[in-house]
Amino acid sequence: MSALLQYVISGLALGCTFALVGSGFVVIHRVTRVVNFAQGAFPVIAGLATASLLTRGLPHGAAELVAILLGGVIGLVVGVVAIGKPGTPPLASLVITLGLAIFAYAVEIIVWGDQPVSFPGLSGTVNVAGARIQQQYFLVIVVALVTFALLELFFGRTYLGKGLAACASNPYSARLVGISVTRMGLVAFALGGVLGGLAGVLVTPLQAVSFDSDVTLAINGFAAAIFGGLMRPMMALVGGLVLGVAEALVAGYYESAFQTEVALAIMLTLMVWQASRRSALEEA
Amino acid sequence: MNRPTFGYAVAALAAAASFAVPLMLDRSQLTIFILLGTAVIVTTGLSLLMGYAGQVSLGQGSFYAVGAYTAGLMAVHGLPTLLGLAAAPVLAAALAALVGVPLLRLRGHYLAFATLAVQLILLSLVGQFEFTGGDIGLRGIPQLGVGDATLIDPLAYAYVTLAAAALVLLVTRNLIKSRPGRGLRALASTEVAAESAGVPVGRYKLAVFSLSAAYAGLAGGIYAFYLGYISPGSFPVLLSVQFVVMAVVGGLGTVWGPVVGATLITLLVQALNSLGTMPGMPAYAPDVLSYAVYALLLILVLLFMPRGLLPSIGSRLEDRRAISPTRS
Amino acid sequence: MLEVDDLVVRYGAATALDGVSLRIEQREMVALVGPNGAGKSTLLNTLSGILRPAAGRMRVEGRLAQVPEGRQLFPDLTVEDNLRLGAWRSGDRDPGRVYRLFPGLMRLRRHHAGTLSGGEQQMVAVGRALMSDPDILAVDELSLGLAPLVVADLVRHLRMLNEERGMAILLVEQNARLAFDICGRAYIIEAGRVVASGSCAELANSPEVQRAYLGGSTDEYEEYDESEESEETTR
Repeated sequence: MSALLQYVISGLALGCTFALVGSGFVVIHRVTRVVNFAQGAFPVIAGLATASLLTRGLPHGAAELVAILLGGVIGLVVGVVAIGKPGTPPLASLVITLGLAIFAYAVEIIVWGDQPVSFPGLSGTVNVAGARIQQQYFLVIVVALVTFALLELFFGRTYLGKGLAACASNPYSARLVGISVTRMGLVAFALGGVLGGLAGVLVTPLQAVSFDSDVTLAINGFAAAIFGGLMRPMMALVGGLVLGVAEALVAGYYESAFQTEVALAIMLTLMVWQASRRSALEEA
Repeated sequence: MNRPTFGYAVAALAAAASFAVPLMLDRSQLTIFILLGTAVIVTTGLSLLMGYAGQVSLGQGSFYAVGAYTAGLMAVHGLPTLLGLAAAPVLAAALAALVGVPLLRLRGHYLAFATLAVQLILLSLVGQFEFTGGDIGLRGIPQLGVGDATLIDPLAYAYVTLAAAALVLLVTRNLIKSRPGRGLRALASTEVAAESAGVPVGRYKLAVFSLSAAYAGLAGGIYAFYLGYISPGSFPVLLSVQFVVMAVVGGLGTVWGPVVGATLITLLVQALNSLGTMPGMPAYAPDVLSYAVYALLLILVLLFMPRGLLPSIGSRLEDRRAISPTRS
Repeated sequence: MLEVDDLVVRYGAATALDGVSLRIEQREMVALVGPNGAGKSTLLNTLSGILRPAAGRMRVEGRLAQVPEGRQLFPDLTVEDNLRLGAWRSGDRDPGRVYRLFPGLMRLRRHHAGTLSGGEQQMVAVGRALMSDPDILAVDELSLGLAPLVVADLVRHLRMLNEERGMAILLVEQNARLAFDICGRAYIIEAGRVVASGSCAELANSPEVQRAYLGGSTDEYEEYDESEESEETTR
């Protein structure tokens, strides 16, 4: 019983980080229709940067904040390269983000080397119904939930959020009322970078990251985002939690090597299911 | 000189050159030549898929791996090596047809992720199974040969690769010129238009996907026999990315684009490798340099020469040719 | 108010507008009439700054807002959000003044725009354009797909905006009869060129215009409108 509880809570925490990465995919895709293959680079860079900043003596909190902002700046840079040039078709933008993800490898290896890096998060454990659970898990869950609530408020209540939603809803009309769709796309990329950075800062104390952790992070984030058809951030949260718990249970009770495969299989099934439903709708 | 004659002349020149070049290479250079040849084969299929069916596959390495493991496993279990080489493209195409039915319903962005997922799943399965040698891989794959005569000389492998590449290029050229090829061209512009013009979009997409997988499978078979050793680590995701870079840089949907793209990238990476392994360079230098080159080439070509290197330069030359008579 | 001289707009190799000149004076209501694909929407999108002209000159005094063809709302946003976004570039974000003009929208303000009827959507589209406090309102296909009663109501609002607030109006219509009825002057545009212009009364009397845009088509229009109306009521 205590083992089950432990798996579920660690799964929820891991799922929250997937959801944060996934919400970055969603925010960027909604506004720009581009699937950002560099999404996995944001958490990696933020995680690596936090570790460096902490060793340079920056206190906890400040280091994480700087790393998250760095994620936002890099998101903006990715956006400028991927969609900044007028007339770049979305599929070209996708391959460009792939190129940027590879470019990030080069930069990360030069700056941080190719070995996995971690840093301590919240130390100490909590006793829940006989299970000893790391406090960091709870920190991850709380921060992620607060972030999603803020995200919902941002899109639902603020004028800038509405402007982003307008670009997603009808780009032509958005331009007609004077919204610069490209500029909103860059805002989305920056926000995607911040969300990815936040995920990295939260996950690195739980799992060490290295430059090539981005594939796993991006795959899991994308799988979470697929739950909402890449359009709804809240569904990415649901997707992330489902994935996280499923993976933790598979790893706990069956075989940890199959952890990512669970995400991949769920993602493929969902994508194909959504596509067949969509074409059925179109035929009707 | 009119265009077809010009084309034939270039083709003949390229063929003659590639036939002569292996004779002048040493052992390690021959290895590069063979890897280049297999890259040309894979990239030709990917270029067809991206240029004609408008689909990005980030999992071309998985079909390469399937071809390699098919050939390797059959040969290890004592089956004739030529049979293994023939089965490699067949099995790769069969797998593509199988996964293609559901996956090709996905639109561009989703398909890219799905093919990446297929490769990751495949690699992890191959790493788990005992009969594939697990993570350690498959060792002692016999040399390619007929009966008692086996190919040991890298030079012979170079010519096998050359023949395979020539075959693939010929098939591709004939396909592009054929009636279905013209249907595919309609597919490349817009799917809806092609559909309303009576092109069986779904079947064509699946056919191109399977063909591109067959090419990759064939290349994988050659790779397995030449190196004699394969493991999941031989087929990283980065390999698939590398094929995308070669296809994009060379120019999509052309016969010669993949040759140019694969050659350019292979030579560049080799040059950087020798630069990166020079004394005084950090241990990570070769990796960093090749990552940076893949990335920068991909990004710059897509932004500034979206049709690829070869078509862009070709149309520039044509413009000049078209202009010159009026000037004189 | 609005001056357009020799405007040329191209989509790649195709020329959509080929030397169009047009003028709107203050407080004027001008119609732009022509068949499908003549370049009317292209002209409006160029005036709105969405398309870039290849050649020619245009001068807009004050602000121009467009009510695009097919309404083009943000379907998954609420009516109120649709209106507020109309003030992105300029104007007060409080939609109160639109609710005063179209009181019916007040009770729909929390509904998603995509769930509204065609007439209601057209009101939102007009309201959204008004949110930027424009000096010129360009309306693309006001009547398309709407029941005659709904069209009449919208026309009444446009007239009021023109008369009481002095807003200049450029009305793009396929239904020439309706356009001539509302406006003082009209331009007839075919295949990217202005082929006739003048006062609506004059144009309505010209035999060519009658044959091409008014003659014999009355019955067809009525039939069309009726079928649309029945769809409207079943919804």
